Parts: sequence; C-alpha cells; structure tokens
Amino acid sequence: MGQGTPGGLNRQLPGDRKNDGDKKEKKFEPPAPPTRVGRKQRKQKGPDVAARIPTVTPLTKCKLRLLKLDRIKDYLLMEEEFVANQKRLKPQEEKTEEDRSKVDDLRGSPMSVGNLEELIDENHAIVSSSVGPEYYVGILSFVDKDQLEPGCAILMHNKVLSVVGLLQDDVDPMVSVMKVEKAPLESYADIGGLDAQIQEIKEAVELPLTHPELYEDIGIKPPKGVILYGEPGTGKTLLAKAVANSTSATFLRVVGSELIQKYLGDGPKLVRELFRVADDLSPSIVFIDEIDAVGTKRYDAHSGGEREIQRTMLELLNQLDGFDSRGDVKVILATNKIESLDPALLRPGRIDRKIEFPLPDIKTRRRIFQIHTSRMTLAEDVNLEEFVMTKDEFSGADIKAICTEAGLLALRERRMKVTHADFKKAKDKVMFKKKEGVPEGLYM
Amino acid sequence: MAPAEPNSSGGATQGQPPVKAPVNDPKKKDDKKDEDLSEEDLALKQQLELYVERAQDTDPGLQKVALESMRQEIRTATSSMTSVPKPLKFLRPHYGTLQAHYEKMSDSDLKKLLADILSVLALTMSPEGERESLKYRLLGSDGDIGSWGHEYVRNLAGEISQEYSKRQIEEAPIHDLMDLVVQIVAFHMKHNAEPEAVDLLMEVEDLDLLVEHVDSANYKRTCLYLTSSAKYLPGPDDMLVLDIAHSIYMKFEEYPRALQIALYLDNFQYVGELFQRCNDPFKRQQFCFILARHGVAFELSESIISDDVERNALQDIINNTRLSGGYLTLARDIEVMEPKSPEDIYKAHLIEGRGSGGGTVDSARQNLAATFVNAFVNAGFGQDKLMTVPAEASSGGSSSSWLFKNKEHGKSSAAASLGMIMLWDIDSGLAQLDKYFHSADTHVISGALLGVGIVNCNVQSDCDPALALLAEYVEKEDASIKIGAIMGLGLAYAGSQNEQIRSILMPLLLDGRSSVDVIAFAAIALGLVYVGSCNEDVAQNIVLALMERSEAELGDPLARFLPLGLGLLFLGKQESVEATAEVSKTFNEKIRKHCDMTLLSCAYAGTGNVLKVQHFLGQCAQHLEKGESYQGPAVLGIAMVSMAEELGLEMAIRSLEHLLQYGEQNIRRAVPLALGLLCISNPKVNVMDTLSRLSHDTDSEVAMAAMISLGLIGAGTNNARIAGMLRNLSSYYYKDASLLFCVRIAQGLVHLGKGLLTLSPYHSERSLLSPTALAGLVVILHACLDMKAIILGKYHYVLYFLVLAMQPRMLLTVDENLKPLSVPVRVGQAVDVVGQAGRPKTITGFQTHSTPVLLAAGDRAELATEKYIPLSPILEGFVILKENPDYKEES
Repeated sequence: MGQGTPGGLNRQLPGDRKNDGDKKEKKFEPPAPPTRVGRKQRKQKGPDVAARIPTVTPLTKCKLRLLKLDRIKDYLLMEEEFVANQKRLKPQEEKTEEDRSKVDDLRGSPMSVGNLEELIDENHAIVSSSVGPEYYVGILSFVDKDQLEPGCAILMHNKVLSVVGLLQDDVDPMVSVMKVEKAPLESYADIGGLDAQIQEIKEAVELPLTHPELYEDIGIKPPKGVILYGEPGTGKTLLAKAVANSTSATFLRVVGSELIQKYLGDGPKLVRELFRVADDLSPSIVFIDEIDAVGTKRYDAHSGGEREIQRTMLELLNQLDGFDSRGDVKVILATNKIESLDPALLRPGRIDRKIEFPLPDIKTRRRIFQIHTSRMTLAEDVNLEEFVMTKDEFSGADIKAICTEAGLLALRERRMKVTHADFKKAKDKVMFKKKEGVPEGLYM
Repeated sequence: MAPAEPNSSGGATQGQPPVKAPVNDPKKKDDKKDEDLSEEDLALKQQLELYVERAQDTDPGLQKVALESMRQEIRTATSSMTSVPKPLKFLRPHYGTLQAHYEKMSDSDLKKLLADILSVLALTMSPEGERESLKYRLLGSDGDIGSWGHEYVRNLAGEISQEYSKRQIEEAPIHDLMDLVVQIVAFHMKHNAEPEAVDLLMEVEDLDLLVEHVDSANYKRTCLYLTSSAKYLPGPDDMLVLDIAHSIYMKFEEYPRALQIALYLDNFQYVGELFQRCNDPFKRQQFCFILARHGVAFELSESIISDDVERNALQDIINNTRLSGGYLTLARDIEVMEPKSPEDIYKAHLIEGRGSGGGTVDSARQNLAATFVNAFVNAGFGQDKLMTVPAEASSGGSSSSWLFKNKEHGKSSAAASLGMIMLWDIDSGLAQLDKYFHSADTHVISGALLGVGIVNCNVQSDCDPALALLAEYVEKEDASIKIGAIMGLGLAYAGSQNEQIRSILMPLLLDGRSSVDVIAFAAIALGLVYVGSCNEDVAQNIVLALMERSEAELGDPLARFLPLGLGLLFLGKQESVEATAEVSKTFNEKIRKHCDMTLLSCAYAGTGNVLKVQHFLGQCAQHLEKGESYQGPAVLGIAMVSMAEELGLEMAIRSLEHLLQYGEQNIRRAVPLALGLLCISNPKVNVMDTLSRLSHDTDSEVAMAAMISLGLIGAGTNNARIAGMLRNLSSYYYKDASLLFCVRIAQGLVHLGKGLLTLSPYHSERSLLSPTALAGLVVILHACLDMKAIILGKYHYVLYFLVLAMQPRMLLTVDENLKPLSVPVRVGQAVDVVGQAGRPKTITGFQTHSTPVLLAAGDRAELATEKYIPLSPILEGFVILKENPDYKEES
C-alpha cells in the first residue's frame, strides 16, 4: 500500500498539472477523500488480506491439487522475480530510508503512549494520555487511519500530542503467557497403557491438523474437541503434555481457575482473547485443565462471583461452537468430575469425543511400574509382580508415589539399592494414607 | 518402556517414538519389548513366526498351509489410521528371510503365493525407490488386487508411475505394467476413487482406458475432475484430457456437457456430430440456446438436420431472436420495466451539500454523459425517458431536442443510444432509427448507422438488414459517416466471419486516402467479424496497412486499434499467432513492441498460460524512456491471460499490486483497467477497495481508469457499495468535467440494464469464454489506455463496443413450446465439488425463487422441484424443462 495515500493530495505532482491544465490548480482544492474512519475490519489484518494466497479446493491428495499448487507457486516465483528485478533496477532503499527518517522527524522523540477516545473526523481525534486529561488533537497523515479505532493504543507527539502512530500488538499479555514455548519432556512413550485413549486423541486432535484430507475423503467434519475425564492421577494431564510434546501446532494451555478474574467481564474477555490468539496462530490446540472450575452446571447463583463464573462459561460455550466458526483450533478439556459439568458444554458439536481414563488394569500397572522403576537401582530381590497383581486400586499417580516413597525409604537408610521391603512399606504407607482420604498431593 | 510401540509406531503422524529411558544392556531391552506385548499380540507374533518357519519347509503341503494362513492373517487385520496392522509389523523382521527363501524356490503356485505376500510386506519394508512391492506383484499370482486393501493399491499406483517414467527413458516394454494399471483403474473406479484412477492414467499417459471403466454412477465425477484438471495442465495434454471427457459424455449421452467441451475446444465438427447423434428435438433446441449464448455463428447445414422446418426453427434460436423477448419477460417479472432517467441513477439528493447542483459546468459533456448513462441503464428495454418518450407522447420534436442538446460528435452517440435502448429488437429498433437517416446532420446519420449495428449485435436476422442498410454508407465520403457504418457492421456481424463484410471493409484498409481513424475502425471491425479465426487474408491486409502508414500517422492515438484488430483475429488461438508476430517485428520501431504485446496478449487470452504472464511481467519490469507505450497492453495482457481460472485470477490481482508499487506512470494507468477486466461484473471487495484507493490518485489518468474500472467490476450488479463510492466521487470531482464524465459512465455501467445484464465474457458456470464478448471488452480497455484522446475526445462512441459483452444474467425456464414457465429454483453461491466424496452440495447459502431469476457472479441455480427435468445441467440463460414422467404429486 502506501501508494496514492489520501494525504498526498495537497502536493500535486507535476504530471498532474500538465494533464489537467491550469484550471484545476487555481480554483480547486479538493477536500480529503472520504476514508473509512473508525470502522476497523476485524479479520483483515492490513495488507495481509491482499497478500493471502487463495485456497486450493480438493483437499484430497490428487494431481489436480498438485497442479493447482504448482500454478500458485509459478505465480509466486514470478512475483519474486519481478520484485527482485525492480529492486535491482530501481533501488528504493535510499528513498524509503529518506522517507523513514522524515517520518521519524515528524514524530519527534520521545513519544508518549495514549489512548484513542474518539474519532472526530478524518484528521482529528480526542485522545487521553495516561495522566488523565483528554485533548482534541490532529492525526498525522501518515498514520494508517483504517486501523485506528476507538480504544486502541496510540503513539502521541510529546509536545502537541497529535497522533503519530499506533501500537499494533493488542494481544493480552495474559494470553501470551499461555502459549507453550518450550515443549514438555513427556512424550507418548512415557505413558503406560492408555493405547485406546492415545489413538482417540490422535484422531480427534492431531490428525485433523496434519491430514485434513483424510476427513475430506470420507466426507465428515473432524471433531472439534475432546474432553479427558477420569479418576485423579490417571494421566489426563500427562497425555495433554504428550500431545504438546509431539505436535508442531501452537499449544495454548490454561487452567480453568485462571479464567476467573477479579473484575466483571474480564473472564469472558480472557476467553475471547484466548480463542482469538488461537485463531491467529492456527493451527493450534487449546488445552483447558480442570475445566470444572468454570464449567459447573448452571443454577440460581446468589453471589456476583458465581454469576461471573457462569458468564465465563457461557463465553466458553460460544467460543466452542458459536456463531463464528473457528478454523484450525482444537480444544482439549480435562476434568475429574465430568458429572458436575454443564450438559451444554459437553454436547456433540462442542466437545465431540469424551475420553475416559480408567484406573490402570494389571497390564497397564505393570507398564507404569516399569516406566517409574526404569531409572531406579533395584535390588535383586525386588519382585514388582507382587504389587502389579495386588487387589488394591492404584492410579498411575499412586504407583509413582509408591516408587518415590520406596526410594526415599532406601535413602533414609543410606542404601544404594531399593529393596523389596522398601516397596512393601511404601505401598502400605500410600494405601493407608489413601484410605484416610488425604489428598494425594501431600505425599510427594 | 516404549509402551506405545505396538500401536503407534509407523503411523502417519510420527515415526518410532523415541525411547526415553536409558537402557543398560540390549538384551534386557529385547526382553522388555516382548513383555510389552499383550498376550494376544504375543500369540499372534509366535504364530506368524511359525508360519514363516513353515513356509521355508520342504514339504509343499505344509508350505501352502503356512502361506495361506499368513495371507489370511494379513487380510483380516484391521488397522486404525494411525498405525500399521499388527501382522505386518510382526512379519517385518522376517522380510529378509522370506525374500531369500523366495529366490531359492522353484517356480510353482506356491512361489506366486509367496510373491503376493512379499509384495504386501514390501509396502512397509521396501526401501525408498526400490519399488519391490511392484516387482513382487508382477511376479505374483495376479489375484484380485483389492483384496489387500486400499493402501496397498495406492502404493502400487505410486510405484507404477515411477516405474513407468523409468521405463520410458529406457524404452523398455510396458505391457505388463499396463495390465496392472487396468486392474488398479477398475478397482479405483469401483471404489469412488475416480481422481486416483485418472491420476494414474495421466501418469502412464493412457487416458483412453478410462472410457471403458466409467459407468453411469461415476462418469459425472470423473468428467468433472478431468475438465477441471484440463485448466491447469500444460498443452497439449489439456486437449487430450478434454477429448476424453467429451467422448465419455458422448458415451453416456450427456450431450449438453459434451457440447460445452466441444465449444471449449472450438471444434465445430463435434458440434455437428452432436446434432446428428441426438434426435430429441427439444434437446437440439437446448443446444441451440447454448450456442446462441456462446455467441458463435454456427450454420446448421442440411447434412446436419434434414427437416427444413426444424432447421429454420433451430437456426432462429442460434440467431438469438428470442433474446429480446426473454429479456423483457425477465424485466416484467422483476418489475423493472419503468424507464429510468440519468438523475435516478445519479441520486444527487443523497450527496450532502455541493455537487448536487454541479451539473452546469460543462453542460455538453454532462449531456453526453447523461446520454450514455441513459443508454446503458435502459439497454434493451425499448423505452426510456430521453430518446423514446416523445414517440409516445406525440409532442413531437422533443426527441430531437435531446438529440440536439448534444454537440457535434455528441449527436452521434445520442443517436446511437437509441440503438442501445432497442437492443436485440431488430424490427422496432430499425423502425425507430429510421427517422435519423433522413437527417441532414452527418453526425446524426453516423449515429444512426452505429445504432443499427448495436441493435443487431449478437442477433442475426435472415434478411440481413444491417448489411443492407450500412453497406452503401461505407462508401460515403464523410469520415464520421464512414466510421459509423464501419463500426455498425463490426458490431452487427461480430464473430460471423461474413465474406460480404470482408469485401466491403478490406478495400478501406489499403486505401491510401482514408484517414487513420477510418482504417483503425475498419481494422477493429474486421477483427471483430473474424474474431479468433486466424484469417490469413485479413491479417495480411492489416499488416500491409500498418506498414504503409507513416510514422506520424502511427503516432495517432487511434493507431493502436490497428494492431488490436490484428490481435483479435488470433484471439485465444495461441501458437497460430507466431507467423504474424514474426512479421510484426518488421514494423516501424514506434509501434513494433506495442504490436507485439497486443498480438501476444490477444492470442493467449483466456488460456492461463503462466509463461506468457511471466513474459508480460518481464516487460513491465523495465523502466522506459519517454514515448514508449507498449507496457499498457502488457499489463492488460496479464489480466487477459490469467483470467482463465480462479487461481490465476487471484494471483494476478496480487501481481498487479506489485506493479502498482514499482511501476511507472504508464503501467499504473493500465493496472486499474486490468483489475476491471479480471473482476468484470464481479465486485470483489478487495479489488473494490484497491480501485477506490486509486480513484483518488494524484495522477488523473489513473483516477479515471480506476473509476471506469469500478464501473466495469460492478457492471449490471446495482452494487450499492460501488454506487455509494461513485456518488461520493461525483461530489469530490464535481468541478472537473473529464473526471466527472468518467464517474457518470461508471454509474451508468453499475446500473447496466437496471441490473439485469452482465459484461462477463464467461458463461456456463465460468467454463466457456465467449470470444466476441471478450473482444468487445478488450477494445474498450485499449481505448481507455489513452482516455484523453479517445473516450474524452471525439471517439466516445467506442464505449458502445461494450454491447458485445452485454448478456442478460438470467435463468429463464421455458417449456417444450418455448413458452416461459415459472418453477421454483434454488440460487446460491457455487461450491467447488471436484474430487469430493459422496454427493456434496453444489450451492451454499441458497434462496428459493421462482424463475425467471437473476444470477450474480459465482452463483449457481438448481431446480427446487422434481416435477420437471432440465434439458441442460447448466442452469443459465434459456433452459428447456421437460415434465418428469416419474413425478408424483405429493399429497
């Protein structure tokens, strides 16, 4: 863009004069053309729209698709060639450099940050700075007025306070921390058992992002999201970590309680923001742990706080399957109290797959023991089978606790190896505590 | 450890999951791996190991049992999308052993059986590029290919195409491969995988096989895939593919589609065959409607249809004699018969403040604009508020009063506008125009002549009134009368390749006494009449005319029409232009490059040829000295070539954005026009925004081009957003007469035919390109390259070339007696359903109307009732409906 900017009208080019004769020059000073002020196009992000590549329709892998993609590539290569040629023939760096320094001069420094309160006309606006008072100021011509909207953060000249620029990055910092930058270490290999669950989550979450054509082939819409539920300590979060570890999609993780905010409307706003960011960074996976924090059944709420929590959930409902369609965003929810969740949250279309995490059976238990003991130095006499075959109900976390406890017991006696007796004691301890109903979290 | 091993490794998404835990000794690992397996898995594994061992046994009986049960295991194994079936996984370690054993075996059925199994195992084992699966398949027992599953067949197909290209290079025999190909194709066609079958056949270059394998259930999808691939295939493959599609359509008697392809191929022999093959008189009528919409002159000879009565009736349809009636039916149904005055279009009351009364600055220019707006808006309705009113009011003289509100050459346009208003209605049109022939004013006569041409545009009549009326005027001395007659002939006989016209116009070209403008229009007229015909004789004469003219004359703005006329002869004809292009290299330096660009752009118009686009972009990349003008046609060339298919179109819009950024003024002036051509009658929001931005450009020519293009992209849509933009522009430029004139023209275009017409040269679901329509558009765009001299000068009547592209954007259903029939239809945005499984919806966001209805760009219609069967699958224009014999009234 940048060509034919409305602001250029008052410096008429010589060519213009030659073409139109003198008449225009003398009599007539055209007013600034109408621009679309104040209406910000949500989805369009500046020049990106024009630069977006058309979608190629048959998603199936076939020759037609190849040909079409080739065609797009050809055009892109031609564009590249053309632009490269132009850069070579008519270097613009100096000119842009010059322009840029001029703009910098006009902007002045230091600049101050303010808030756009209201747009008056094309060239004027009411702004407020952080200190308080509001001013009626001008907008400089080089500011992209299409992107100005009431409420956005702007840069202001330090003395006259005119608008000299706008701050683009409007992602809520609350959301940006949710992005998982460093993949967790747990992979699918660290999960004992849960084969069916792994397969289900792969089909529902990973495959639609990597192989959409499979679904197209069959003629179905891929599931939008899954909920993982089951007893505490059965590996729900672990599986989500494994998904994050193996996927190349953006992974956003939130805990349900994070969505509860102090001020009215902040919670729903955060949810909106979260899904907007997910859409921007798509393909992406949103993982909401402990969804029961916000997703409990609706009932007559008495306090404002409860009502706010419900509103947050309603926003979540809307984002999951509301009016705006989300593209490549998959949602994983996790809870251990699925029965307390609002039925609207779980209806097909919002959450298409419910994946249960049962307590481990004998086979799985054995594997979990193997995983946890693989790094421990065990004495010869350790017979894990005894614990594997026991009648007591263990969750994955219990098994981990037993192993850790056994290790601690060995440490206490300054032994280098963990013996069978250690394990036995550890198991008794864990089971005893469990029966007393002390939360598992304590024995770590 | 690695518990996911048995299930998730080797899946589509990930390879072997990494084994995290450190392992002390390899032996332990092996043990653990075994332990990992569940009991059933372990049993299966041992079982399979036993089979492998037995298979190597000496006893053939035992071998056989082992191999067969191995086969059984593999076949019955189910797998998820994410993983490899278990038997295959467990057999992997034994692949080498079995291979070695195979080599040792003596030839027997058992050996073949083993080969089959090895072929399947190679699916997961074979190293990349070895194609062992194929090798063993060829050695194997040739059993039913589908029994091993879809994935196996797919893999084989991939290996075949590699093997084929390798053998092509080595020139080795391929018949064994082809046997396999036949099997695979048959399998794919049976299992709804038409694209894969077609792909494989394309790879092995034997599409003919397809014809045998399609059946009535899948031929539609197959052909759809073929035709949409053809747009992207390099020549001559695309022709081949379309030929196949044509023969499939013929085989299944889907004649309208076959006709569509025949027209795309420009193959009139096919069209003739079609009429002979199909004996249903109603279907023949439907073909004639399609031919008429395409705008080609097709003479039904006696050899095609023997019955005189029927032939005449059909020829009438081809001659478009029903167009006017159908259009008026549509207009009456939509209730827009009421004539509109230019003021109704300008809607000045919606503009705030000044500008509303701004029409006084240059009243002649304003009146001229009003004339055009009036003509465009009331096109084809037969009544308006400026030209035809007095005939009814019988007040006398006021018709001429509007006529004489225009100055000099303005009167030509005014008189011709009557032709536009009476468009397609030859009888009453000629009667109305008749009075102007007796005028003493040469401009009026010239306009009347042009009007006759306009009335006859796209419509032929048996008695050739246009030729009879216009021929004598070509001989007249006065240049303006001459031009009127020439242009009239060009419009009336566009695409007809009429010999008489040639003999009338050709002498003008070589007449040394005629002025440049006369030759220019003669060249254009000849180009239109012989559009896309590659007529050597005409080409020769235009070339001679170009050579004879002096440099000064070639500098005339209208001289650009000479190469354009030449180019139109080769419109869309690709390589055929080369000889002429060579000759053009000898032209005067001044026009050489311009001519070259024009010829190329016309020859490759509507082909989507990427190389040509690259060529044009290369030309635009240069920065010129003053006075060179060839970059304008090059920019238009990009649009003309890439408008062929949607992808190219969108990508071209992107490229044009770069041209705007880096290009010099002469390129920037052409870019809006190119955008206008790309999105003609299809107001895309992003293009609208770009043009709106350019319409405020400091360079007035860019601004004017952008405004005209706004009109073009909104042509006949009544688009409120464009109308609003133009209204604002009219107040913005209220003091500049030239710019205001362009705004007015654009406003007229947006309301073209009160929103019932389209300028898009594409029709029949955007698959066919009407050559005459494109020719008309190209002439306008070239004229707009030098707006000041031509449209704002005294040749504004070139705007009437748009009439060539004007077609009602309607769906009019008629019964078997060709009487309009109102049925409910669903109209919605068309969806691309190529290569999709099942029966996907072809339209989205539809509304139900009853015919006749308007179709916007990208819209598709389908019948909402079972009561009738349409005779054409493409519901556009005139469609004949037949009663459905199986229809039962719902109680």
